[in-house]
Amino acid sequence: MIAFIVRRLIVTVFLLLVVSLITFAIFFLIPLLAGQNSYELASQYVGRNPSPAAVHAIERKLGFDQPLTVQYGRFVRGIVMGAHYDAGPDKTYCPPPCFGYSFRNQQPVWPMLMSNVPVTASLAFGAAVLWLVAGTAIGVLSALRRGTVFDRAAMGVALAGVSLPIFFTGLIALQLFSYRWPIFPDLKFVPFTENPLLWARNLVLPWTTLAFLYAALYARLTRAGMLETMGEDYIRTARAKGLPERKVIVKHGLRAALTPIVTIFGMDLGLLLGGAVLTEFTFSLHGLGLFTILAIQNNDLPEILGVVMLTAFFVVIANLIVDILYAVIDPRVRP
Amino acid sequence: MKRHKTFGLAASAAAVALGLGACGGGGEAAAPTTAGYNAGIDAVVRPSDATGGTIVFNNSSVPDSTDPGNTYYANMWNVLRLYGRSLVTYKSVPGNAGNQIVPDLATSLGQVSNNGLTWTYHLKPNIKYEDGSTVTSQDVKYAVERSYAKDVLPNGPGYFSLLLTDPKYPGPYKDKAPDKLGLKSVTTPNSTTIVFHLARPFSDFDYVAALPQTIPVPPDKDRGANYQLHPMSTGPYKFQSYQLDKQFTLVKNPNWSAATDPNRKQLANKFVFNLNVNADTIDNNLIHNFADVDMAGTGVQAAARADILSSPSLKKNADNAFSGFLWLTYINSKVKPLDNVHCRRAVEYAADKVAYQTAYGGPVAGGAIASTVLTPNLVGFQKFDLYSATTKPHGDVTKAKQELTVCGQSNGFSTNMAFRSDRPKEKATATAQQQALSRVGIKVTLQGYPSGKYYTNFAGVPNYVHQHDLGLAIGGWAPDWPDGYGMLYYLTAGPAIQAAGNTNIGELDSPVVNNLFTKAMATTDISARNQIWSQIDREVMSQAVILPGVYAKSLLYRSPRLTNVFVHSYYAMYNYSILGKKATGS
Repeated sequence: MIAFIVRRLIVTVFLLLVVSLITFAIFFLIPLLAGQNSYELASQYVGRNPSPAAVHAIERKLGFDQPLTVQYGRFVRGIVMGAHYDAGPDKTYCPPPCFGYSFRNQQPVWPMLMSNVPVTASLAFGAAVLWLVAGTAIGVLSALRRGTVFDRAAMGVALAGVSLPIFFTGLIALQLFSYRWPIFPDLKFVPFTENPLLWARNLVLPWTTLAFLYAALYARLTRAGMLETMGEDYIRTARAKGLPERKVIVKHGLRAALTPIVTIFGMDLGLLLGGAVLTEFTFSLHGLGLFTILAIQNNDLPEILGVVMLTAFFVVIANLIVDILYAVIDPRVRP
Repeated sequence: MKRHKTFGLAASAAAVALGLGACGGGGEAAAPTTAGYNAGIDAVVRPSDATGGTIVFNNSSVPDSTDPGNTYYANMWNVLRLYGRSLVTYKSVPGNAGNQIVPDLATSLGQVSNNGLTWTYHLKPNIKYEDGSTVTSQDVKYAVERSYAKDVLPNGPGYFSLLLTDPKYPGPYKDKAPDKLGLKSVTTPNSTTIVFHLARPFSDFDYVAALPQTIPVPPDKDRGANYQLHPMSTGPYKFQSYQLDKQFTLVKNPNWSAATDPNRKQLANKFVFNLNVNADTIDNNLIHNFADVDMAGTGVQAAARADILSSPSLKKNADNAFSGFLWLTYINSKVKPLDNVHCRRAVEYAADKVAYQTAYGGPVAGGAIASTVLTPNLVGFQKFDLYSATTKPHGDVTKAKQELTVCGQSNGFSTNMAFRSDRPKEKATATAQQQALSRVGIKVTLQGYPSGKYYTNFAGVPNYVHQHDLGLAIGGWAPDWPDGYGMLYYLTAGPAIQAAGNTNIGELDSPVVNNLFTKAMATTDISARNQIWSQIDREVMSQAVILPGVYAKSLLYRSPRLTNVFVHSYYAMYNYSILGKKATGS
C-alpha cells in the first residue's frame, strides 16, 4: 500500500507540472498568437494612462521581456527554492513553495491562497456531510420504495436541485432567511477557532444551498445503484439465508452501491476544495472560489496558476484517498 | 475612463498644457436636513457630533491599493481622507462648493511665483503621524518621489513627472542620494516648506497638490509594495488590520490634529471595510441595516433600484446624484464628410437624446440629457444648448437636413460608428443613434471593439480611425479634478492628440480652442478662468466634435443609521471623511 501511495504521489508531481505548463501556455501563448506582445501584456498592470517608460518598467519587473522558457523556469524554481522579489526599498524573500507574486497587488500568492483555504474547506466539508448523508439516505429510501409517492416526490425535488443554479437558489435562500425572515442575518465567515457556533450559524445557508445541488445528484445516483444491486442474485441469497432486511440493505446492498458514489464524491470534494465559485460568490465568502474570480478578472497569472495547481492537487489527493477507501469498501480490490 | 473604478484618464504622454485651478464654484449649502429623496445632494443629512459606533462599508470589488501613492480609484481617494492628509484637499461641504480646494496639511493654497513656475506650500506646525512623530516637508517630498516609481507603485496618476522639471527621476527606490530625496524639482528649504519647480506654468497645480500622492510618507516607514498593508496615518483614523482583498479596519488615531482639520471628523469608533461582497448583497445589506455605505459609490443595482423607487420609506433615504461622468459620442473632424462642420452639426441635430438617455438606464439610473461637455457639477459650468438637445430631445430633423444641405450632402451620407461591444449600454446607444440618424439619410454601420483595447488599438488610434472611416465613436469621460481643464483638455485640445491611446477622438485641433487653453493656463484669476472654460465648451460645441449624451447619474442609498451624510460633488458619492453613526436606539 505504501509503495502504491508513493507511486501516486510521484505521478501527482508530474501531473501538477503538466497542469502548470498548460496554464502558463494558455496565459501567454494564446494572446501571443492573437498578436499581443509583452508590452501590451505589461500595460494591463500599470494602472491608468501609463507612460511608455512606466510600462517598460513593469515589463522588466514582471519578467515579460524574458523568453517564456525562462519565465516558466523561474516559476518552477520559485516553488522549489523560493524567490526574491523587489518590493521597493528592499528585497523580499518568498519562501518555498513560492507561487510567485501577484501582478495585481505585488504580494506573494501562496499566503493569499492559504488564507482562503479555511473558508473553502469549511464550506466544502460541511456541505459534503450534508449532501452525502441526505443524498444517499434519500436515494436508498427511494430505491426501496420505488414507484411510491415518496419516490416520485424525492426524485422530483432532486431534479429541481440538479436543474436550479446555485446563484438562484442561494439568492432565494438569502432573500428569505437572511433578509425577509432574518433567521440567519448578516452572514459573514467567522473562523471555527474564533466562535464555532457563529461559524456554523453563518454557514448553514451556504451549506444547504450547495448540498441541495449535490444531494440531488447523489440521491439519483444512489437510487440507481441500489435498484441495480438489490436485484442481484447475492441479495436474494442473503435474504434466503434469513439475514435481517436491514443487514441485507446496509451491508450487502448499500455497500456495493456505494463504490461509484465514493468515486464521484472524491472528485466532487477535490474540485470543491479548489473553490466553490458560485456559492462563494453568492454568499460573499472569501474562499478560493472568490479568489479565482478576482484572479481571472485581473488576468493575474501567478494567482491563476496558484489556484489551478492547488485545485489539481486537491483533486489528485482526493482521488488517492478514494482509491484507498475502495479497499475498505470493496474486499475484491484489497491488495 | 471609468470613474466608477478610477478617476479620469487625463494625463498620458501628452504634453501638459497650462490651466488655472479653480476654487469655489457653486452656491452655499442649503440648511441641514433630516431625510427625504435627494436631501443629501445639497445639504447635510442628520448633522450630529454624536460619537461612537462602527461604520460598516461594503465593496463589491477590492481597492487598487490602500497606499496613497498607488491608487487611482475615486472611492479610494474618498476613503483615503480618513487616514491621510494631503497638502490641500476638497472642502467637506455639500453642493458644488465641495469642488473648492482648501488647505489641508498646508497653511494656505499654493503660492505661485510671478512666472508661474514655482509653487510653494508651508506646512502647519506639529502635524503628527499616528506614532506621534512630526510630519515634515521632506516626508511630503518623499511621497511625491514615490509617484515616479512606477515599477513598484504602478497605479497612481503621473502628473508630477509630467509637470515638474526632472521627468526622468527614477523614484526613491533607485535614488542614489543617501537620504533618497534626490528629486531636484522639489525642494524643502526647511522642514515646513516645500517648493515645486514646474517645467511650464500650470495654474491648476493646487488640484495636483490635492492628489493623494502628496500625503506624507516617512521614508523609514516605507515598505514599497507592502506599504499598502499599513500606511502611516495623518488623518482621524489609522489602520488596525488589513486582510488583503477581504477586509480592512480603521480605528481612531489619537495623534490626529483635529484643531487643524475642519474637513474631517472623528466620530465613529471604527470603520470596517468588507471587500469583495456580492453587489446585490450590498444593496440588501444597506436596506436591512447590515451595512452603512456602499464603498464604490456608484449606486444600487437594478433590483434594489426598483425596490427603492417604489417604496416611499426607502426612497426618502436615496439620492439621485451626478456620478461625474459624461456619456458622449465623438464626431471625428478628419473623416469625410464629417470634416465639414455642417455635417457634424447635422449629427448633433439628428441624434435622439431621449434614446441616448434610455440606453443608459433612463433619467434615474442613466442621467440627465446633456447639451454641454462640462457637466453641471464642475467648476466653470454654464448651461447652454446649441442643438436643441433639451428643447427637442428626440432630435430636430428639420435643422439636421438644413445642415446636411449646407454640407453638400442633402441626401445624407454613410459612416461608421465605434462602440465597446462588451458594454451593453454603448451597444444600445449605438443602435438607437443608428436609427435616429437614418431619419435624415445618415447611414451608420456599427463597429464593436473590445473595451480593453478600445483606446489603445482602435478608436484611440487616429490612423485606424481614418482608415476605417470611424466618423463616430461612443465613449465617456470624467475628470481627475473638477474644472474645465480636467474635463476638456484631453477631449479637445490639439496637443492632446496622440498616435495611440488618443482621447481627443474628435481630433479637434482648433487654434481658437488651443489659444483659450493657453490663456486659461496663464490666468490666475479664478472667475476669469472659469469664464474661459465655458468659452472653450461653447467653441467645442460649435465645432460639433462631441455629441453630449447624458450627464450620468446614480441612485445612492443613504443609510438611516448614519449622521453627517451628503453627496460630495467632487467624489460624486457620499463624503466619507465626516460620517458618524447614530446612537443605538435613536
